[in-house]
Amino acid sequence: MSTIMKTTRDVRGVGLAIPRADGAEKVTGRVEYVADIKRKGLLHAKLLRSPHAHARIVRIDTAKARALPGVRAVLTATDIPELKRKAPTRAHAVLAIDRVVFAGQPVAAVAADELAIAEEALDLIDVEYQVLPAAVDPLQSMQPGAPPVADAGTEADTSEALAHSAVAMAKGETRRADAPEPTKAVNVSQTAHVKRGDVAKGFAESDVVIEHTYRVPMVHQGYLEPHAVLAEWDRTGHLTLWASTQGSFNTRSEVADVLGVDENRITVIPVECGGGFGGKIRALCEPITAVLARATGRPVRYVMTRREELEAGMPAPQVIIRLKTGVKRDGTLMALEAETVLESGAFSGAVLAVSAVFLGSLYRWPAFDIKGSEVLTHKPSVAAYRAPVAPQTIFAIDSQMEALARALGLDPVEFRARHLSHPGEPMVNNQPWASHGGHEVLASAAGHRFWKERAAWKASAPAGRVRGTGLSLGGWLGGLQPTGATVKLNPDGTVSVLTGQVDIAGTNIALAQIAASAYGVDFEKVRITTGDTDVAPVTGLSAGSKTVYTVGVAVMQAAQDARRQTLEVAAGELEAAVEDLDIVDGRVVVRGMPDRGVTLTQIGRKGNLYMSKVQPILGSARTAFTQQAPAFASEIARIELDPDTGEVTLHGFVVVQDAGRAINPLGVEGQMQGGAVQSLGIALTEQLAYDDQGRLTNPSLLDYRKLTAADLPNIETIIVEVPSPSGPFGARGVGEPPIVPAPAAIANAVEDAAAVRITECPLTPERIAMKLAGRPAGKS
Amino acid sequence: MAKQVLSCTINDEPVEVLIQPYSTLLDALREDLGLTGPKEGCGTGDCGACTVHLDGQPVASCLVLAMQARNRNVRTIEGLAKGALHPLQDAFVRHGAPQCGFCIPGVLMAAAALLEANPRPTEEEIRYGIAGNLCRCTGYTKIVAAIAEAATLTSEGARA
Repeated sequence: MSTIMKTTRDVRGVGLAIPRADGAEKVTGRVEYVADIKRKGLLHAKLLRSPHAHARIVRIDTAKARALPGVRAVLTATDIPELKRKAPTRAHAVLAIDRVVFAGQPVAAVAADELAIAEEALDLIDVEYQVLPAAVDPLQSMQPGAPPVADAGTEADTSEALAHSAVAMAKGETRRADAPEPTKAVNVSQTAHVKRGDVAKGFAESDVVIEHTYRVPMVHQGYLEPHAVLAEWDRTGHLTLWASTQGSFNTRSEVADVLGVDENRITVIPVECGGGFGGKIRALCEPITAVLARATGRPVRYVMTRREELEAGMPAPQVIIRLKTGVKRDGTLMALEAETVLESGAFSGAVLAVSAVFLGSLYRWPAFDIKGSEVLTHKPSVAAYRAPVAPQTIFAIDSQMEALARALGLDPVEFRARHLSHPGEPMVNNQPWASHGGHEVLASAAGHRFWKERAAWKASAPAGRVRGTGLSLGGWLGGLQPTGATVKLNPDGTVSVLTGQVDIAGTNIALAQIAASAYGVDFEKVRITTGDTDVAPVTGLSAGSKTVYTVGVAVMQAAQDARRQTLEVAAGELEAAVEDLDIVDGRVVVRGMPDRGVTLTQIGRKGNLYMSKVQPILGSARTAFTQQAPAFASEIARIELDPDTGEVTLHGFVVVQDAGRAINPLGVEGQMQGGAVQSLGIALTEQLAYDDQGRLTNPSLLDYRKLTAADLPNIETIIVEVPSPSGPFGARGVGEPPIVPAPAAIANAVEDAAAVRITECPLTPERIAMKLAGRPAGKS
Repeated sequence: MAKQVLSCTINDEPVEVLIQPYSTLLDALREDLGLTGPKEGCGTGDCGACTVHLDGQPVASCLVLAMQARNRNVRTIEGLAKGALHPLQDAFVRHGAPQCGFCIPGVLMAAAALLEANPRPTEEEIRYGIAGNLCRCTGYTKIVAAIAEAATLTSEGARA
């Protein structure tokens, strides 16, 4: 970096723990979400959804619904000319054509003057179904003869994998299911296979071989704001969408593709998003709402109910991993064999590569053979959920490492540290691990009192209870996406930053801090705006822990560009060389001559004066770098267990995480705490439970059990900083890592307390009690 | 169905509004009165995002018929601050408690009712006091800390 980028004194920017700028708006209830927005002539939409997981639609009669006063449109598939068979994604399957493939799939849509009228209209639509056998269990769905889910010839959708994992597998390592594969079954939509070394020989030479099958059910992202969108067409055929989305540009592209509209004829306004966690990346209800608005010529708002969210959202896949590992008595790793099955629901789109990388190359297995399959079932199709497939995979590999260490009588942390891959060592795809702080994180966790005092905790159990401590290590490989940003100097010397970045997690304050430090003003002088798709530079998703990591670089470079322009203007004014200038307290000064200066206000004004010859300051940057920054987190759970009921009580929980550089420690802590509790939800309580007909049995927040404040202790956070070479100021992504370790940490703590190894999430009281009683847990 | 007149007090202002007799209090507030601070996260009383005060008691407004509020006092998040931010709101901002913010109006109303009834709650009492309010972003730690600090500040202020 050249000398003009060096400031002589620190500005108030990167590294400060400061609250986000929209806090006061949020605590007063003034922030508007989609459901809060009204437009003149607004209509309300409802969708009629299939009660069957798999059925043929024989007949739909909408006459009575159409006749209901206040109903403005009743649409079925035949009313939507853009609909195609062989829909590659859920978004393309706007309404079912003649077959429904999951319970909750929309078959008809209503727009009415009032929500109550739209609801009444749904009751008046008569659908005759011919119920068909459903593929509900993913392992059975893989078998020949299982009821087919996709229409023959449907392309697997790998865009989610590309958007999220950014792990390039070498050619032939992942393939679409339509590639030649002798054992391919009808519902297997993607496969992957990676291997290295001689696995059979490795097992033959092992002293201890452990094999377990790990299962994590489908879980919902659980954002508090259900999916919502408001669509309005103008008379020129321009569509505006007010959307609750994690990526307005992605929403625009998907809707344009489904409806066959040019992207510059669609404006997506990213409204405040009430949580997404991966579930609001892909388009879901936007296309049908736009179609209803087009059919009625009126603005239409659609807000999903919680029941619809749980029955027909886009949850995380069920993940089943059979894992076999062999080691020498001295702890030398010998061989690993794994088969991963991702249950993707009715449409393809799960992420296979992340699982292979963590199974085969988080630890240094000299020989491995890892197969992965994405399997379709008659359930709602899945999407990303914060670090997709990483918590499930780490549940398997970390539980297995703990089990191996215990079998060998080795210290579990030392055993992990001894085998944890170092930067530069090969991943399963033979690409080198990028710089990461996994070892530093593990060392920090091992030094925590929960871990050091685990024997005392175990010994302190009151009568009738047992106590234990569990530690786990997991992480995220880091997301990437091209992105742009602009930074301008205003006539009053303040600075404005523009991106299209949807701010859910508090990233805008961090981006403002980056701009402040890179330009050379205090953060109070910087305002950042999230623009809509017409005004903002192209910006990626708020997903994959890549906002600060990638958009942060664009903002940093745009601010540096604006700084360079500012100094060039000042150099002319001061008759000095750019290299001799610095920005100090809102003034450009000549180094060592604090009296010679020109204020940012003067420079900003001259860029906006009639007849002025000074160009306005407008920094811009666009990035598309390829260097990932893996980020690791370790979590330690201190638990008490009632062996009679199987109930686990959390007495302490700590997250240790490598943030690279914590741009805003307050925001980083918030991410760590929230991610940890989502991780604990997967570990302890959450599952979408289906009956044998493929119907959800727990479609409410009473029965889909999320953790409450009363279930939890304070979540302690320890930030480790191992700078990444390419992130802004060394930052790494922080959103995903904390959701990864808890399932294994809890299972390890249960084993520490009660000497049983549980391999299925959630670790409910029933499951633990049955295991302790030596009985198989009932289907729950 | 014929609309009915609802007369009540909302955020210290007398209100008369025509509503559908089947309207929930939440729908009446949001759709008929433009008070969109209370949120609908579930519609079944499980998430707490719609929490308002009815005669000082916290209720899930999605489970209350609007007509049940007749001649009673309703307070929503819009009426929590009288002028400057309420100490709870101020503490939430400083602690970085809001992330996506969708649950926050309900959490604040539950917390305000808790501190009315119990000005110096223990951490456990705070956790149980907001146990009916789901938050998916924060893991509750900063929310609990903010409530504890607001309780300390206001009860010290009351003593001074």
